[in-house]
Amino acid sequence: MSTLTKSEAVPAPQAGDAFLSVRDLRVRFRTEDGIVNAVNNLTFDIERGKTLGIVGESGSGKSVSNLAVMGLHNPKNTTVEGSIQLEGKELLGASQRELEKLRGNTMAMIFQDALAALSPYYTIGRQIAEPFMKHTGASKKEARERAIEMLRRVGIPQPQTRVDDFPHQFSGGMRQRAMIAMALVCDPKLLIADEPTTALDVTVQAQIVDLLKELQQEFGTSIIFITHDLGVIREIADDVLVMYAGRAVERGTMREVLKASQHPYGWGLLSSIPRINASVDVPLEPIPGTPPSLLNPPTGCAFHPRCAYRELVDGDKCVTERPPLELANGHLSACHLTAAQKQSILTEQILPRLSS
Amino acid sequence: MRLRKAAIVPALVAVSALTLTACGGGSGKAAAPKANASASTQSVTLGTAADAQGPAKPTPGAKSGGTITDLEPTGLDYLDPSQIYENQLQAISALYSRQLTTYKTDPTTGKTILVGDMATDTGTSSDGGKTWTFTLKDGLKFEDGTPIASKDVKYAVERLYAPYQTSGPLYLQQWLSGANYRTVYPGPYGGQSLPDSVIATPDAKTIVFHFQQAHSDAPYAMAEQDATAIEASKDDQQSYNNHPVSIGPYKIQSYQNDKELVLVKNPEWDPSTDAVRHQYADKWDIQLSVPQPLLTQRLINGSGPDNTAVSFSSNADSTLIDQIQGNPQLKARTVNQFEPFVDVYSINTTRVTDVNVRKALAAAFPAAQVIRQLGGAATTEISGNLMSPTMSGWQKTDPLGIAANPTGDIAKAKQILTAAGKLGYPITIAYANTTKWQNITAVVVDQLNQAGFKAQSKDLDATSYYTIIGKADNQFDLYRTGWGADWPIGSTVIPPTLDGRLVADGSNNYSHLNDPAMDTQMDQIGAVTDINQAAPQWMSLADKILATDVPQIPYAYDKLFTLYGAGLGGVTYNPGTGALDPSSMFAK
Amino acid sequence: MFRFLVRRALGSIVILFLLIALTYFAFFALPADPAQLACSKTCTPQLLEQIRINMHLNQPLYVQFWDYLSGLVFGHNYGADIGQCAAPCFGYSYNVHQFVWPRIASNYPATFVLAVGGAICFLTIGVGLGMVSAWKQGSVLDRIASSISLVGQSTQIYFLGPLAMGLFVTNLNWLPQPSYIPLTQNPWACFMGMILPWLVMSVIFWSNYTRQVRSLMLEQLSEDHIRAARAKGMSSRYVWWRYALRGAMAPIITIFGIDLGAVFSGAVVTEYTFGIHGLGFLAVDSVRQSDIYLELGVLIFSAASIILFNIIVDAAYALLDPRVRLG
Repeated sequence: MSTLTKSEAVPAPQAGDAFLSVRDLRVRFRTEDGIVNAVNNLTFDIERGKTLGIVGESGSGKSVSNLAVMGLHNPKNTTVEGSIQLEGKELLGASQRELEKLRGNTMAMIFQDALAALSPYYTIGRQIAEPFMKHTGASKKEARERAIEMLRRVGIPQPQTRVDDFPHQFSGGMRQRAMIAMALVCDPKLLIADEPTTALDVTVQAQIVDLLKELQQEFGTSIIFITHDLGVIREIADDVLVMYAGRAVERGTMREVLKASQHPYGWGLLSSIPRINASVDVPLEPIPGTPPSLLNPPTGCAFHPRCAYRELVDGDKCVTERPPLELANGHLSACHLTAAQKQSILTEQILPRLSS
Repeated sequence: MRLRKAAIVPALVAVSALTLTACGGGSGKAAAPKANASASTQSVTLGTAADAQGPAKPTPGAKSGGTITDLEPTGLDYLDPSQIYENQLQAISALYSRQLTTYKTDPTTGKTILVGDMATDTGTSSDGGKTWTFTLKDGLKFEDGTPIASKDVKYAVERLYAPYQTSGPLYLQQWLSGANYRTVYPGPYGGQSLPDSVIATPDAKTIVFHFQQAHSDAPYAMAEQDATAIEASKDDQQSYNNHPVSIGPYKIQSYQNDKELVLVKNPEWDPSTDAVRHQYADKWDIQLSVPQPLLTQRLINGSGPDNTAVSFSSNADSTLIDQIQGNPQLKARTVNQFEPFVDVYSINTTRVTDVNVRKALAAAFPAAQVIRQLGGAATTEISGNLMSPTMSGWQKTDPLGIAANPTGDIAKAKQILTAAGKLGYPITIAYANTTKWQNITAVVVDQLNQAGFKAQSKDLDATSYYTIIGKADNQFDLYRTGWGADWPIGSTVIPPTLDGRLVADGSNNYSHLNDPAMDTQMDQIGAVTDINQAAPQWMSLADKILATDVPQIPYAYDKLFTLYGAGLGGVTYNPGTGALDPSSMFAK
Repeated sequence: MFRFLVRRALGSIVILFLLIALTYFAFFALPADPAQLACSKTCTPQLLEQIRINMHLNQPLYVQFWDYLSGLVFGHNYGADIGQCAAPCFGYSYNVHQFVWPRIASNYPATFVLAVGGAICFLTIGVGLGMVSAWKQGSVLDRIASSISLVGQSTQIYFLGPLAMGLFVTNLNWLPQPSYIPLTQNPWACFMGMILPWLVMSVIFWSNYTRQVRSLMLEQLSEDHIRAARAKGMSSRYVWWRYALRGAMAPIITIFGIDLGAVFSGAVVTEYTFGIHGLGFLAVDSVRQSDIYLELGVLIFSAASIILFNIIVDAAYALLDPRVRLG
């Protein structure tokens, strides 16, 4: 491993052409039980108009890292280090006032549970209009017109009347659309969608994904799409970042990661997706074991307690030494297996099972 | 006077129980008897015509002007003098009302005598004590300036017969017209008047009462508030209660039921007609329904108007008595005097028929322990007999040995029971279900069991306690009762509570004693025309009944323990009513 | 909303009727005899009978009950010595020779002023402290507020009242002896006379609000819609007041309604501690004197107050939380 001397930042794309550029992001929480290292050495870029899918289990740090981008962590118990640059402007260390100007305006966020994320006490219209008034200085009337327009754009029928409805009067899919309308009301350049489809049924999921894609094409918005559903990723993402225990374990284009994953965790993810064309007698294979505790993460490779291939690695490297994120067979992955081993496992064991 | 409201167990139990715990702090233990100055004992006697001469002797150091505040723990049931029977109201009405006679207490010596009030003297009797004649003083006027004549006194008595008159004393009506007096005469509102053969008014100054029997204590009966003068033209029956016409030194300026009674000077009152009352303060602010312990706290604090505050008849809150007694400055402005009340346990003689068993009960009775639970020496003192020390002719006797053996003589009681073959005699003690009486009853039950009884207790609803034990066929053997004399003569103690001919539901003869020999003696003493002779005879009859029949176990004389503001002078006590006398009070 | 109000009003009448009937018959089932209580020391059977007649107790119970009910609606004539009692006639207090209604009417203003002033105190102080506590969560300020609230929780009016009076009235002489002076007569004197009762009464209430508001605010602040609002770029202050407080207010309003009903129907202990003559005094008097009509009057009044505040709270809740539908 001659590349070990290179810093983990080396395989990062060159900053400059990226719209959002995250470098060595580290997020720690102080809790009663101790310090939680929620995100470590996370590095990624997004270009304008592109979509980055972030995949991982609950607690892998995917939401935490994006809340850090939005600057929504409570500074009292959270430390955020590294660098987050939006259009070349450093967000870490920016004042709350500056962040407030960006939030909802340049960057916006969609949450997983629209019912919880919308205040039950105000009308949909008001909640959409609020950021518009704040960021554009529009009047109440203009903001209301804008809200109706946004609702129409996200496909809410009869937006003139529905604008005065309360969230509880909307169906689940409509609420998610309203959330999207709220996020997009100021034409943000970056949209962070935190599992926006997880709580929805499959047909609605597809509609929402289509909607986001349409809007992206229309406005050229960059999207960070957080999910644990690789099926959705396939539909929308240009690039994919796989996170495990607060770290990136694999990064590449959607095609690279989904068709030629170079990480045992990625294989596990792929095997756990149901496929319409899969034969019924091949069982789905969930990843064995449970996600690690971030309070007390495993030594070496955080995935090693659940890894089926660690015998293939010499000695106890998996337990003692954390594998760096480095190029293997075309894209970045963090695993002690050799590139050849990875390729053979992929082609001989994983792909046949997926296509059978 | 009627049993004070406190005796009719207040429903405030819950609230006061809370306040007890709130202000606790060493109030639980009773003070040693010697720590309290024993209430002075001075019995009341009859005064002369000269004593009735106005104006009243100036109170030493008295000043005119200012406002005196009286704090009363409850509202006033009545302002109408004809309906007044409680010492609280008797004290207040002394400011605006007058009677034929009244009590006069010397502010310096504290000695109390009975004197003519509207009358020139305490009355003269003829016809063997059946006829009583009173002469009104000159210069008496109603608040509106109308002179007071004998017909107004007669009218005041006549209206006592009206159906709505149910609260005042019954003596005058019953003495004049018998027990069923209402059937004889319906009251003055139909235009009828009592005939001269009952009450005669030969001239504007003279009024003659013809009683059906001799009543040597008539002068005292005429000190009751209903022996007053009422202007027929101002009498609107029930409603008169809200605006009685004044004949005293003060008149009513405003009255808010349950809240406040304000009295101001009555210019028509002539000091030369009054041997008792002064008009020192400009105004009396009588604040009603001031709850305890706030009332006592205000008297202690004495801030602002409370500096000249007083409470006529309410004891200081039991939780604050120790604090008051421990502070010389506070103690200097206390009054601690005997009241006409005696607390007893009545023995149901229709159930406990063996007098030896009753004697054993009396021997075992733990008077000292009970008194400690009642609040100790400031408000009670162990009694050996049925008569309060305020009574005329009172003697410090102890026929049952209660005072001699205050903690009870268990051995002696057991001995009496054994001799009578009644060991294990069952006794049921009834009590009003409040914390205080629960504790006391437990003490008594325990003591009786040690003495060889088989005692048990039965709790009764506190509000209906007297109704239940008042039943002639009640199923209890021993229960707490009490009695306050209406005036300081035994005639208002012995016959009402011990005359066997009165036994009935609701009667005050709670022990149901029916001893014809004693009843005969009561009639004999009642016929004695010289009140000064009768008084000691009542005393000895009381002791004789107690020793012979043991119908009651007297255990405590009640005492008034109250506090007044540092800015108040001329505070005197009226043992006749058992309340402070406002007559000579002044704001310093 | 209108249908809701009509339905609730009708329901209230039924509840009140049941309350009256229940109290009435329970009262006469008790062994306590009002005539006996009114009978003086030297009570005789004749006197007792006269009192029974005077108090109309000699009539059958159902006749008395009917008279009372019809009096409530049509008024009642009590005969020559007492007079006509206009509708709504709440009966006559035989022991103080007054109609019940004037007694309630004369005591209610004191309770009203006590309740409203006290409620303003406990709501503002309680909610204010709770918000400070939540805002500076974990700070010294939070700990002080929590301790005060704990002390308030465990203290009692009859303990705190005399202490406060001793300090502010007697020793410092800053305030007059607490008393109720009608607002219309002298607003300033009314304020000065009531400020201590208000504050002392509010202590036991506001501690509850402090704790509730603190936990509700913290709970609200961790809600997704708060984060979403901040993600929209709304300022912390805006989110705090418009989102978190709004969400915390709904449960607070419910508690407030219940407390308000309680203080309006007579804060007995406060009234007794400070000697303020309100409904609580009448309530105690009515029981002590076995005055059934006063008891009923106070009961009806208190129950009506509580019911009214319940309706207001429900309506307010519906206005506050659009998810609640009144039907």
